[in-house]
Amino acid sequence: MAIQSVFIINKSGGLVYNHNFIEPKGAMNSNDYLILAGTLHSVFAIASQLTPKAVQISNKAEQRADTQVPYIGGIGVSENRVAPTQLGSFMGPDYFQEPFTNWNKSGLRHMVTDEFSMFVFQSLTGIKFVLVSTNNFRNNTSVSIAENILRKVYCIYSDYVMKDPFYSLDMPIRSELFDRNLRSLIESL
Amino acid sequence: MSTTAGTPNTASTANVSSLASSKTIKQIGETAWKNRTVKINAELFTLTYGSIVSQLCQDYQRDFKKVNDQLFSMGYNIGIRLIEDFLARTAIPRCDNFVTTSEVISKCAFKIFLNITPAVTNWSTTKNSFSLIFNENPLSDFVELPMDASKELWYSNILCGVLKGALEMVQLDCDVYFVCDVLRGNPQTELKVKLNKILKDEMPAGED
Repeated sequence: MAIQSVFIINKSGGLVYNHNFIEPKGAMNSNDYLILAGTLHSVFAIASQLTPKAVQISNKAEQRADTQVPYIGGIGVSENRVAPTQLGSFMGPDYFQEPFTNWNKSGLRHMVTDEFSMFVFQSLTGIKFVLVSTNNFRNNTSVSIAENILRKVYCIYSDYVMKDPFYSLDMPIRSELFDRNLRSLIESL
Repeated sequence: MSTTAGTPNTASTANVSSLASSKTIKQIGETAWKNRTVKINAELFTLTYGSIVSQLCQDYQRDFKKVNDQLFSMGYNIGIRLIEDFLARTAIPRCDNFVTTSEVISKCAFKIFLNITPAVTNWSTTKNSFSLIFNENPLSDFVELPMDASKELWYSNILCGVLKGALEMVQLDCDVYFVCDVLRGNPQTELKVKLNKILKDEMPAGED
């Protein structure tokens, strides 16, 4: 799939990072992106408050089953080259190799329009990672793929943003290393 | 035939999703440390920490209370960032009680970052405070405290700060402090973690 943009939104709803891999058609200035991030943060919170009655009644153990995200191999790992033995502080060939639990249980996870689709991954600490793809995916597999990619973005974030002494928490990310590693992840897709 | 095949299957999926069994937590820690984390020589780490502490003692003119505080705040700043690395690496679900939290700390977190597994003991009756006993502490290898420091300085106080900061980022407001330390002549190194309250208001939306 073609990735158009990646956003990172901090836990108070501020945009800390955005990068367009494909330039969007309509012109958007930096203020528009900030508003978009704030709106998304609010919509996410509202979505988590609105739950169908049937789901409210059914027990929680059942809901847990579908928060598992399967591991999908080969994402962001180039097959033609020799697999790297080291990805930042992570031991290669991949950041993780097992299915994982999604922390975002009742918030907004996936949005489809005619032109694009959007995926949201939220960490336990409340940071949101948003991926915009130019295809309008509607199936569950693409959600799993997107969540695999976004967890890898989270891994890169934890390595190159959190371990940067010049970065202050909740502020915009200006890190060349992060940029470069994120780009190489997205380009290898 | 189908029942025998079905039973172990359901048991294993339940373990993964609910984090119920301590063996699973241990396995997550082991795998993350063994196959997912880049390793360095522990002595490099020990000596770097040693030079930081000795520099701080000099800077604060051997006022060890201030050194303790400074180490704690340095640890806090590490902890609020380190939690992201820990979560990205393990992707463990939220702990549903403090007992699980203690196991994740000892079997996962300490395993991954320091390659040790401190023992969890001394539970309070209300299950909201526990002690970590360190049989080995990589921070304090090759260390002997000078006479004037052995009453006041908590050499590994940075660990308290790290735990405090990291737990705060997952909405657990805790007090973390050392009770005794082998460097001070005590029989064991004991670190106390006490849960004050769960910060419900700061829980991110989207979790139940």
